[in-house]
Amino acid sequence: MSQRASTAALTRRGFLTAAGGVAAASALAACSGGGSGGGGGGGGADTLKFWNMPWGGTAFNPLDKEITEAYEPADGLPSAVYQEIQWANFTQTFSSAVASNTGPAVSSGGGTQAFLFESQGKIAYADNLLESWKENGLYDDFLPGLIDTMKVEGGYAAVPYNLDMRVMWYNTTLLEQAGVEPPTDWPSYMAAAEALKAIDVYAFGVGAGSGSFTGSHIMTSFMINNGGGLFNADHEPDCVTDRNIEAMEFVLEMVAKGYVDPGSVTYTSDNVQTQWGDRRFGMGWDGAGLASNVGGDVAAELVVNSPLTGPHGDQGALHFPNNIMMYTNTPSQEGSEAFLTYYYQNMARLWTERTGIGLPPLKSIAETPEFQADPNAVKIIEEWQPISKTWAAPGSDALFLGVTDVDGTPAMSTFTQTVLSGAATAEEALTTLQQALEG
Amino acid sequence: MSTSSLTRSLRRARDGVGVAGTGRPPDARPRRVLTPRTLTMLALVLPSIILVLLLNAYPVLYAGVQSIRDGDLISVGDFVGFANYESVLSDPVFWQAARFTLVFTLVGVFGSWAMGMSLALLLRRRIPAGNVFKVLLLLPWVVPVVVSATSWNWLVATPQSPLPILAEALGFGRVLFLANPLLAQITVCVFKVWISFPFMMMMMGAALASVDNNVYEAARVDGASGAQLLRTMTLPLTAKSTYISWILMTIFCVNDFPTVFLLTGGGPVDSTQTLVVQAYRTVFLDFETGPGVAIAFLMTIVLVVISVVLYRRVRKVEIE
Repeated sequence: MSQRASTAALTRRGFLTAAGGVAAASALAACSGGGSGGGGGGGGADTLKFWNMPWGGTAFNPLDKEITEAYEPADGLPSAVYQEIQWANFTQTFSSAVASNTGPAVSSGGGTQAFLFESQGKIAYADNLLESWKENGLYDDFLPGLIDTMKVEGGYAAVPYNLDMRVMWYNTTLLEQAGVEPPTDWPSYMAAAEALKAIDVYAFGVGAGSGSFTGSHIMTSFMINNGGGLFNADHEPDCVTDRNIEAMEFVLEMVAKGYVDPGSVTYTSDNVQTQWGDRRFGMGWDGAGLASNVGGDVAAELVVNSPLTGPHGDQGALHFPNNIMMYTNTPSQEGSEAFLTYYYQNMARLWTERTGIGLPPLKSIAETPEFQADPNAVKIIEEWQPISKTWAAPGSDALFLGVTDVDGTPAMSTFTQTVLSGAATAEEALTTLQQALEG
Repeated sequence: MSTSSLTRSLRRARDGVGVAGTGRPPDARPRRVLTPRTLTMLALVLPSIILVLLLNAYPVLYAGVQSIRDGDLISVGDFVGFANYESVLSDPVFWQAARFTLVFTLVGVFGSWAMGMSLALLLRRRIPAGNVFKVLLLLPWVVPVVVSATSWNWLVATPQSPLPILAEALGFGRVLFLANPLLAQITVCVFKVWISFPFMMMMMGAALASVDNNVYEAARVDGASGAQLLRTMTLPLTAKSTYISWILMTIFCVNDFPTVFLLTGGGPVDSTQTLVVQAYRTVFLDFETGPGVAIAFLMTIVLVVISVVLYRRVRKVEIE
């Protein structure tokens, strides 16, 4: 018995000694580090990663991938590999990848993403790229003012890619039924809203519910339309101004008079489209793709209105110049720039083949017959784009890191829901917003 | 039979003993001795234990570090002590979210338990197509919450949705289930009960199935009424499962992100915002990891306290 136990104990000791040796060797190996550890960011030596978002319908990413993979780099430069990134949790996806140096070399993403990463030193400025585009004609092909929206103190944080606009839509049939003309300024908007209410139709169609930030965009649009906005020239929040108060009082008056659907405060994008589709919204505010998103018979009745003129003669709206950025973590900066040059020279098909992507940043694409066939899109480019401003308004045109405090943030959602539910005066709501932004 | 003798009989029956039983649970446990064999076994499992500790402890420790720094999603930031906790605890939005989290959890736990227990009792009887009913009743739990949230949104969101139309037809006027803060809170809580009761039904059904029918028959012979059976037999005999299900459902409710976020996003005007939604919005929309993780840590502390209290109840039931 004792002998058996002794043998067993010896075996166990032997086993434990061996196990300890293996564990120590593993630990030493793990601690040694160095070598090739931590690679993979931006792509391998021969490839660079291009991450793009699903900007359009189902046709978008396959075509985008085809364009990317058709890229033939010059000798010594890396080829490009394509990766589609879903919008769900995209902030986490990019942040964790960039933080761990496994992110892309080139990507699109959220409209303010480049400015967030630029502040972290993760962005490769596009100054040299844009300089080279002055020679091949690409630089002058951009719509007016677009490139300037990307300029920060250190340089150009990104390159404009597609435009997301917030414009006014109306239903031609419902306006005819109500016996009113499309509005041209705030008083005629109020009058048209009253006429629509008479036929039980809402005149301020927006959504401010879960995942729907259009409501907060439209609040800001009205401020810009009145010569106001959220930030001053020093990039500081400056919400409680006379122009902003006047703009929000106009919206609150529409709420109080029943021109705004009370459900708007929690409407998702789907709910908003349902209301347009059910002809419950006669006028409202949305992106350029509203008609195609609503679909059905109603789509043909939806028309983009001309920009409204504010009470002091101002015109303006909020827009989002979505962009493509280059990262410092790249196998070759020259390769990133060469790929982007190729991409911009060959991306027109994304618009001419109607993949559903937002409005084009290049005049040459906007002038194509395919694009000109959509009168609403043409109207947006011709009438809305020139008067639109970014979150940085009225202080400046160029975006900056601070706009991440208002782009889809809880503070803006709460502010918008407060106004749309008429829960506070304009000054109270703006003061609360100001405090939240300063906090 | 007097009330006291009935109670004694019920207790003896509950303890699962026959006529000659003592009614005491066995209390003699073998003493554990650290023999060389035991030590060897411990040494063998030690690497696994260390691995599990690393896998579980590292994220918690890292989160703890984040909560005392002013970082963002990319960098860990500078040390700020307990400033994040102070800022969170002095924020009225946090306390509003905490209040609604409490209401949401209480309604979610006890509402789903009451409904689940009732259905489990009902389905214990032989009813036609009972298994079909069981499967149908499980659907709210089985269906992905994204689908059920979309369905509920379709049911209540716009004035043209079925429930607002029904409410208007019944003379309640235009009811805004999601736009009115109070109604939105009620809707979210009802939705939570709806998606959670099948879990409770399964838990309590399993607990009821483990109770010997002879116990009930013995009680009935002793003259117990239906209400007495429920109060003195069913509830005590299923107490252990009940407490465990409460612990689990409390954790589910406090940590439930999709139910609230998909239906209301925490609105209108933060009225349905729970702490986990606030933590998410703080970290991933405001990019403030410090305060966001601090909220999550405070939630964890409260959850641990509640779980310990309920777990003690479970142990007490075991001893009794």
